[in-house]
Amino acid sequence: MTKTYSEINEKIKNGSVVVLTAEEMINFVDEHGIKVAAEEVDVVTTGTFGPMCSSGAFLNFGHSDPPIKFEHLTLNDVKAYHGNAAVDCYIGCTRMADIKPFEYGGGHVIEDLVSGKPIRLKGTSYTTDCYPLAEVDTEFTLDDLNQAILCNPRNGYQRYVCAVNSSDKTIYTYMGKLLPNFGNAHFAGSGCLNPLTNDPDYETIGLGTKIFLGGGVGYVIGEGTQHSPSNRFGTLFVKGNLKQMKPEFLRGATYEKYGTSMFVGLGIPIPILNEGLAKKTAIKDEEVITGIVDYGIPRRDRPTLKEITYKELKSGSIELNGKKIKCSSLTSLYHARKIAETLKNWILNGDFLLNPPAETLPTDTVFKPMKLTAELKFVKDLKKDAEICYDDCDIKVVAEIIIRKNVNHIVITDRDRTLKGIVTSFDITRAIAEDKDHLSDIITKRVFTTKDNEPISNAARKMKINNISALPVLDDERRVIGIITSEELM
Amino acid sequence: MTVINVTLPFGLIKKVDDYSKIINVILEQQISVNILKFSTGRSGINLLLDIPEDKINSITEALKKNKVIVNKKGRVIVDIEKCIDCGACVSLCPTDALHLDEKGLLEYSLERCLGCGLCIDACPRGAIEET
Repeated sequence: MTKTYSEINEKIKNGSVVVLTAEEMINFVDEHGIKVAAEEVDVVTTGTFGPMCSSGAFLNFGHSDPPIKFEHLTLNDVKAYHGNAAVDCYIGCTRMADIKPFEYGGGHVIEDLVSGKPIRLKGTSYTTDCYPLAEVDTEFTLDDLNQAILCNPRNGYQRYVCAVNSSDKTIYTYMGKLLPNFGNAHFAGSGCLNPLTNDPDYETIGLGTKIFLGGGVGYVIGEGTQHSPSNRFGTLFVKGNLKQMKPEFLRGATYEKYGTSMFVGLGIPIPILNEGLAKKTAIKDEEVITGIVDYGIPRRDRPTLKEITYKELKSGSIELNGKKIKCSSLTSLYHARKIAETLKNWILNGDFLLNPPAETLPTDTVFKPMKLTAELKFVKDLKKDAEICYDDCDIKVVAEIIIRKNVNHIVITDRDRTLKGIVTSFDITRAIAEDKDHLSDIITKRVFTTKDNEPISNAARKMKINNISALPVLDDERRVIGIITSEELM
Repeated sequence: MTVINVTLPFGLIKKVDDYSKIINVILEQQISVNILKFSTGRSGINLLLDIPEDKINSITEALKKNKVIVNKKGRVIVDIEKCIDCGACVSLCPTDALHLDEKGLLEYSLERCLGCGLCIDACPRGAIEET
């Protein structure tokens, strides 16, 4: 049993089309089987509504009089990219406002634009003979623009990972706030409702596929960046007319200490051309598998701790190392369903026809890491021997070593070289000023540390954000094997 | 059991006797009190106490007489205009005061909120505020 796009479109036009959401398709196939589903169901709709950082919009303002060629350009104080012709720009959702970073960004500008709010445009130019105007400061709304095109290089991940944090500190990531010691878990994607999950072999989705985008009609314009089909992390490059879109499905977002982003509503209709697609679109959450990944390890290849299904992820808690962990989504499942429903209604109402892609997505591309010409340096490459005193030693001895060895940091250990604390030359000064006699009165016991295999850049960031100038280097048994100070990093 | 949020304001406790006075007030009630959270805040020491529901009035009165501030339950407000029901706050809430209903819409239960505030900076929409 096979169907063609034109047969399905004929049914859409004469009102006899059968459309189900991806969730409804599961029940239908359970009840009637794949064969009947392939015959009776014409289209399955999908949807997702999550934060998608690779999103933004091309805007064209028209020409001022006298004309200007933008050299620098901000929209509500968010810098836009202007390396195109005179009055074109691209506003990206992760660019943050200079005056309100971590509060307002490009995603919020796009949400405000779609909401019909006026946007402040400030631009300057070096001026040319053909573009003599040096400065513009004005306000505009979406209606004033010639074109406003949402153009997102990477949306709609086929699936995404579940993030946890093994470290002893709360971390703030693009996967949200992750509590220490596996205190919570976050996942993204809508599982069985996810667009690419329902067409995992990219039989119907490709260049030119008509889709729901941000509440309006959009198109897939090719594979997304980092498209990685071999491990089922396919992505989509999409575009659509911002003027048709709705703020309900394009929302600016701010992740604490990470930055801004934008929630994008994306829905794709899958035509049920054959039994294979009927089977694939009936995929259940328990069949969509992803990995639990430790974001506490700040490296590219973060360890995957366990495989997990979206059914477990959506249940509210996951189990890891025998412990139950509260788990929630970053993707709004309510809105994902609403998108699949809305798209279904568009098709049922005859407003939305389907078309075959001009070119399907590649199935063999590989997502490569960044090529770095400079060799990655580790703590072990730059560490030096630590000057060590035992925890029962006299302050005077510590002071003498500081002078004799010309160092600022003395690491305090017990006789097994297990870290007990750190004392700086400033602490010694304080001891004199405040009449402290014992090492225990001036020692800093909570010490930030590093390990041999930590990249230098990570160690440097640790010093910077904690406002410190040295990190003792520890082995796996927490014994001191060296020290790295800000001097080595300069 | 129900949760109350009390503050021992700065300056209230000067010597150990002041502590014993407050502790005796609680002991006189002859109930079990669970301390759910002990933290220092801008206005003093904050305590979250889990107490039997029928004792709430008598213990509130007794604490107030001793200049302990008894706050209202629930310390956050969710702005439903800003909220997009994503769920980023849900995993952070230790008591399920923030949870998604069957449809996937965010629900906030004032009764269950401890006012721990873990959710506030987890919201990508800035929709959760401390009251």
